Amino acid sequence: MKRLVLAIFFATAIGAAASLTGEILVFGAASLSESLQDAGKQFEANRGGKVAFSFGSSGDLARQIEAGAPADVFFSADTARMDAVEKAGLVKKADRREFLSNALVVIVPSNSTAKLTSARDLESFPKIALADPAAKVPVGLYARQWLTDKGVWSAIEPRIIPTLDVRAALAAVAAGDIPVGIVYRTDAAVSKDVKVVYTATDGPPITYSVAPIASSKNAAEAAKFIAFLDSAAGRAIFEKRGFIIK
Amino acid sequence: MTSEDFSILLLTVEVATVATLLILPIGVAAGWLLSRGGGPLRTFAETVVSLPLVLPPTAVGILLLEALRKRGTIGGVLDSYGIELLFTRRAVVLATAVMAFPLLVRPARAAFEEVDRRLPAIARSLGCGPFEAFRRVTLPLAGRGILTGTLLAFSRALGEFGATIIVAGNIPGRTQTLALAIFQRHHIGQDASAMRLVWVTVVLAFGAVLASEIVSRKRSRVEGAVG
Amino acid sequence: MIELDLSLPLAAFPLQVSAKLDSDSVAVLGPSGSGKTSLLESIAGLRAARGRILLDGNRLLDSARGVRLPPERRRIGYVPQDACLFPHLDVRRNVRFGMRTGSREGTFDEAVAILDIEPLLGRFPATLSGGERQRAALARAIATEPRLLLLDEPLAAVDVELRERILPYLLRVRETLHIPFLYVTHNTGEAAAVTSEALLLRRGVVVRQGPTAQVIREMMTTSVDPDARFDNVVAGDLEASQAGDDRLFLRAGEARLVVPAPASGERGGRAVFAVAPEDILVSTRPPAHVSARNVFPGRVVTQDVSNAGAWVRVAADGLEWTVRLTRAAAQDLGLEPGTRAWLAIKTHAFRRLR
Repeated sequence: MKRLVLAIFFATAIGAAASLTGEILVFGAASLSESLQDAGKQFEANRGGKVAFSFGSSGDLARQIEAGAPADVFFSADTARMDAVEKAGLVKKADRREFLSNALVVIVPSNSTAKLTSARDLESFPKIALADPAAKVPVGLYARQWLTDKGVWSAIEPRIIPTLDVRAALAAVAAGDIPVGIVYRTDAAVSKDVKVVYTATDGPPITYSVAPIASSKNAAEAAKFIAFLDSAAGRAIFEKRGFIIK
Repeated sequence: MTSEDFSILLLTVEVATVATLLILPIGVAAGWLLSRGGGPLRTFAETVVSLPLVLPPTAVGILLLEALRKRGTIGGVLDSYGIELLFTRRAVVLATAVMAFPLLVRPARAAFEEVDRRLPAIARSLGCGPFEAFRRVTLPLAGRGILTGTLLAFSRALGEFGATIIVAGNIPGRTQTLALAIFQRHHIGQDASAMRLVWVTVVLAFGAVLASEIVSRKRSRVEGAVG
Repeated sequence: MIELDLSLPLAAFPLQVSAKLDSDSVAVLGPSGSGKTSLLESIAGLRAARGRILLDGNRLLDSARGVRLPPERRRIGYVPQDACLFPHLDVRRNVRFGMRTGSREGTFDEAVAILDIEPLLGRFPATLSGGERQRAALARAIATEPRLLLLDEPLAAVDVELRERILPYLLRVRETLHIPFLYVTHNTGEAAAVTSEALLLRRGVVVRQGPTAQVIREMMTTSVDPDARFDNVVAGDLEASQAGDDRLFLRAGEARLVVPAPASGERGGRAVFAVAPEDILVSTRPPAHVSARNVFPGRVVTQDVSNAGAWVRVAADGLEWTVRLTRAAAQDLGLEPGTRAWLAIKTHAFRRLR
């Protein structure tokens, strides 16, 4: 008994000492803001290791990592951004995990009476909020793919108000500045000022991708965090927020 | 310069021109009023007019957004007439006009202050009504200062970014001015293409400010009341 | 002709002027800051006074009846102290400024001729001398065919050459156009030459009103205006010497005075000269062997002696000369009114105004 107590004591002490030096920086897609922060809190509570986050459009984050930003973990909303970072030699293919998915939805302000029965109905709106596909924001690329597959992209494209990321699109619709927007189902759940009027069940496959950054100085901690995310406890956190587990 | 670059240039110049023309009568009137007044009211008015000069452009953008969105004071009224301003070219003109306004008013005010007050009074004694005296005496004498201010305001209008991106968004073909396009291209890593536009803005800005300098320095035969 | 009963608060005291002016040429005299300019501005409508202003029976201001004509409807020409020409217009456009489409074309030519500004028409105010600007400003005022002219100390500007002073032109304006005027000045000699009635203002109130000569005399004795100049102003015809020398004479009244000859060699026409009272020598005996070329007898009209000095007026050959002496000199000479006295005035004491 005495030996167990001592072991725990030293492990905690070493863990505490490690946490002072081992804070990991996680770059995460904007749609993962709440879920990753929930996971981070649990991770810290369990192991004592601190996690810091930077959220934004996966396109921006990938560019920042390529430019040398000191991220330890990259959680992207699509595989293509991760491919780009891998191509730059900053991520090892073997380290990538792709267990998370999502769904595209069309949202309007909660007090709007607008209805949608198909993708084509989007044409009736003069302005549509969408994270900028030209800036390679995944949700924008997914939406463009979806609408192109439906044959309505060229009619809808002139109405698109491009935003910096998915949360900016969400905010614009929530404020009523733009009458309709396309975001992830998990984003719509975050705001009570919007409601979902259509779910793109026939949209393109959405696959998130997470990996540790190879040049990271906190590789061990990073790996542990990703392992936690991919564990039963971690996946439960995402499911609770409405994500789909692959 | 590609054709896309060129249309961005045209959009920028068009917006800057409209914005400048819009603030010209208001700015001249404001300059004249400020040159006349005194006391705490004038100090207050001067400060308010100068705010866009000193506030971060994004702050001005937020203030405009609050006023123009559907639930805002002005936006609500416009919405009832079916007029939408946000994320349109009109919003670009408006944001640009607000940011450029102090650059016109301040030189205009200084120019009016320099006009000897006795001169329009003499014009009155010679048979001019108040507006005629303003038009034939005060305005021409303040003309050089007003023109300098107009060119300065135009230069500022060409480069406006912070307020514009907030109320008008960065929409290619609709609201994307040179400044916004530079930001966009840099943002997505197309630095060479961004650089092309940077050179365009350098040339434009150089020309506008140079014109303003020449006008303000031109040796004139009309320095103040001569008697 | 002009009826004034107006009040206007000024910085140091209120302007309160009540006067009925019958003459068509009135001088407004008084120390600096006594409200003379404010009085003119009130009559012109450029300052908002309260009370009554009637011009030939026309109500320009009547606060009791709620009447206040704006300046553009008063038909009053105002020539301010600094001429105030419009700097962005050449002289021609300045003079034409107030002329409306219905004006007689001849008015412009007449104004240009009277004020002698034909050669200046294409020039801009910044290139003109002080005197030229004043003349242009006066032309601009009369081109609107005003029914009253207000002139504010046109001679106060220091940079105005003596020979360019506006007085003779004013005489011409009066002779040719018969426009009545109010003339603010410090120079009592010129006031006496041009006006028949005078108002003396002191701290916003009229303290004397009457014939110009009388008001001036009273001013001298009470030294009301420390800036006042009491020049003797003499207008007459020039005459070349018949004796074969290069002297120049001025015929004025019955006198024949020796005056300085101009460098240009001009020896005829009308001219106006001024002599300072300090520059005249008085003698109770005919002066002999003196350098002064103008020596003549006259009769003492008045003598006013005070601690500050003495003013003696002497009449001779149809002219009246004002002489300034020290108190001691006056007492020494004993110049009682009625006594004979000789005056000696050097040629160069005559300063030519035109």
